[in-house]
Amino acid sequence: MPMLDIKNLTLEIDNGTSRVKALDKVDLTVNSGEIRALVGESGSGKSLIVSAISGALPPQFHITADRMSWNGESLLSMSTEQRREIMRRDIAVVFQNPITAMDPSATLGEQLEESIPDELVKGKWFWQRRQSRRKSAISTVHKVGIKHHRHYLNAYPHQIPTDIGQKFMIAMALISQPKLLIADDPTRGMETTTKTQVLKLLTRLNQTRSLSILFISHDLLAISSMAHTMTVLYCGQSVESGRMKMLRKRPLHPYTKALLDSAPSFRKDLPPKSILPNMDGIIPSLKHVPIGCRLGPRCPRAQKDCVITPAVRRIHDHTYSCHFPLHMEKL
Amino acid sequence: MIRILSRYIILFVLTLLVLAAMSFSLAYLFPGDVLTNLTGITAQNDIQRNALIKQFRLDSGYLVQFGYYLNELFAGNWGYSFISGLPLRDEIGLALPATIELASYAMLLAIVIGIPVGCYAGLRSYTPADYGINSASMVGYSFPVFWLALLFILVFSLELNIVPLSGRISLLFDIPDKTGFILLDILLADNIDRSLAFKDALQHLLLPTLAISTITTASMIRLTRRSVIDVLNRPYIAAARSRGLSRWQIFFRHILRNALLPILPLMAIQITTLITNAMIVETLFSWPGIGNWLIQAIYQRDYPALRVGMLAVASMVITLTILIDLFNRLIDPSREKYERATV
Ligand SMILES: Nc1ncnc2c1ncn2[C@@H]1O[C@H](COP(=O)(O)OP(=O)(O)OP(=O)(O)O)[C@@H](O)[C@H]1O
Ligand code: SF4
Ligand SMILES: [Mg+2]
Repeated sequence: MPMLDIKNLTLEIDNGTSRVKALDKVDLTVNSGEIRALVGESGSGKSLIVSAISGALPPQFHITADRMSWNGESLLSMSTEQRREIMRRDIAVVFQNPITAMDPSATLGEQLEESIPDELVKGKWFWQRRQSRRKSAISTVHKVGIKHHRHYLNAYPHQIPTDIGQKFMIAMALISQPKLLIADDPTRGMETTTKTQVLKLLTRLNQTRSLSILFISHDLLAISSMAHTMTVLYCGQSVESGRMKMLRKRPLHPYTKALLDSAPSFRKDLPPKSILPNMDGIIPSLKHVPIGCRLGPRCPRAQKDCVITPAVRRIHDHTYSCHFPLHMEKL
Repeated sequence: MIRILSRYIILFVLTLLVLAAMSFSLAYLFPGDVLTNLTGITAQNDIQRNALIKQFRLDSGYLVQFGYYLNELFAGNWGYSFISGLPLRDEIGLALPATIELASYAMLLAIVIGIPVGCYAGLRSYTPADYGINSASMVGYSFPVFWLALLFILVFSLELNIVPLSGRISLLFDIPDKTGFILLDILLADNIDRSLAFKDALQHLLLPTLAISTITTASMIRLTRRSVIDVLNRPYIAAARSRGLSRWQIFFRHILRNALLPILPLMAIQITTLITNAMIVETLFSWPGIGNWLIQAIYQRDYPALRVGMLAVASMVITLTILIDLFNRLIDPSREKYERATV
């Protein structure tokens, strides 16, 4: 049974006059101990999935799902208290924009220490507990590769460079020793050495502590080297999902193929907000989503049937949503 | 830190200097004799007149006169009242604290009621409770203060007769003036029944304080509510929620501070309105404060009193504004950290 199991997640955004479906029947699973990559162009709704899972949604977002469960318990129907406990102990989120995700009026140290669940704090008296908190804050900060802990723990979010902020977000997520880490573009804009350091840390935690990771990134090279499975998202629809190797060898969905081809031999990163070289056009805005398969207007294989939303089809653990998939003759 | 402080001090001194210059020029602008306007003393004969002209350097240039004027201001010789003939410093020394007392209780009440209610409305934004609080504060905000004061007098003093109509304390009590604040003075006074006097003073305070604080409370509620709603929509609150913090933790650690920081400078603006309102309400309740005193001075064309009274009120407002701004600067961590650390 998957740890995190999401089926037909639909997220609608109220913009005053009308509702747009920003996520349309998205399927996503994360198994225990796996690293799952979630990829897609900018604006395809990756961060929306993250906020849907984290549960802190603005009032104009409305989510519905056939299933959204954590270890078999439905996240949507459980009490807020239970949900809070899960977010506190089991799931940790690294948000895409670290500086705005931190309280500008509290020091990084305070914010890091408050993320520690009580049972991980040793000691009976408050001074012992304070010391224990400080100690685990310092060791976590070292772990993510920040050396000057004394300086940064007492700094405020606006005083630190972005990459330190990103590392701090990771530290804040890891300090609660979660079972699942959701990392939304954790290495964006980092320089190569720092990036390698962070990715190594995540891989190591996955191997030694069997930390599951939902890894969201534009960096296909990093993804293909560390992820076990991948889900491809296009314009709020999950188009294909399966084991990394399978997807690389034989993508069934035209969009997956275009996405993979856009990074030839995975040598270049896919810069955010870029037009895919192999596919004309850009991702449609939420106000003008095509009916049926949302890839339709850009798809080289599109035919008349594509105005009907393709159902999810499955070959073993490989799922895809396309009426006219690629590579079918070889199967 | 030193740089910030010196910037504030320079600003403060310059503003006061400009104010002093304006008050000095009033002596020339007011109708009547410059010498009398400046000193408050009507010279009886030429000898006294010449002596005063010499003393106040009126025979030299304006700058020298102004220099002497400043000197006198600092030395505490603010001139004499036309009407009472008493030193103005003593009169203001009695009147100003009375106003400050009234305004501070009103502000305190506004903070104690306004901030919690505003937070509640903000946290419950767009629910019936919020709409109720919001409309109530809108109504409170739009009352003219003098009308509200008159209404209070009419209902509570004249109709229901539960609180006294005017003044600061019943004449039965003889409270020696030590701090200028009536409640403190009562606590310091001996040979009176303190609890009775205290009760009496509170009854006198009740209506004017309520009248002034209604408007300030209403605007405090609105400011706090708006600010809390703003903070609630920030990504860091969503991030804090996703870390599984409880609602109270989120409120006290992340919402409260961030919501209050931006409204502190707005509160500084409120203080000016508050003092103006206090001065208006004073005249209605015959509260012996600076507003009442200035009105009397206007009625009686007491130009020296007006000149110094305005300077005193303006200096007080400027001092408060600058102090709050400085305080705000010191506690706001998004300004420079090291400035904060050296406080
Ligand atoms: N609060 C919001 N109100 C309205 N629309 C929103 C809101 N947040 C996101 N969207 C829209 O939802 C879509 C998906 O946004 P999302 O941030 O999830 O993209 P993303 O895949 O994370 O992109 P990136 O790779 O750039 O982070 C976008 O079209 C965006 O305009
Ligand atoms: S369903 Fe049609 S439009 Fe959509 S990807 Fe498949 S072929 Fe292209
Ligand atoms: Mg995103």
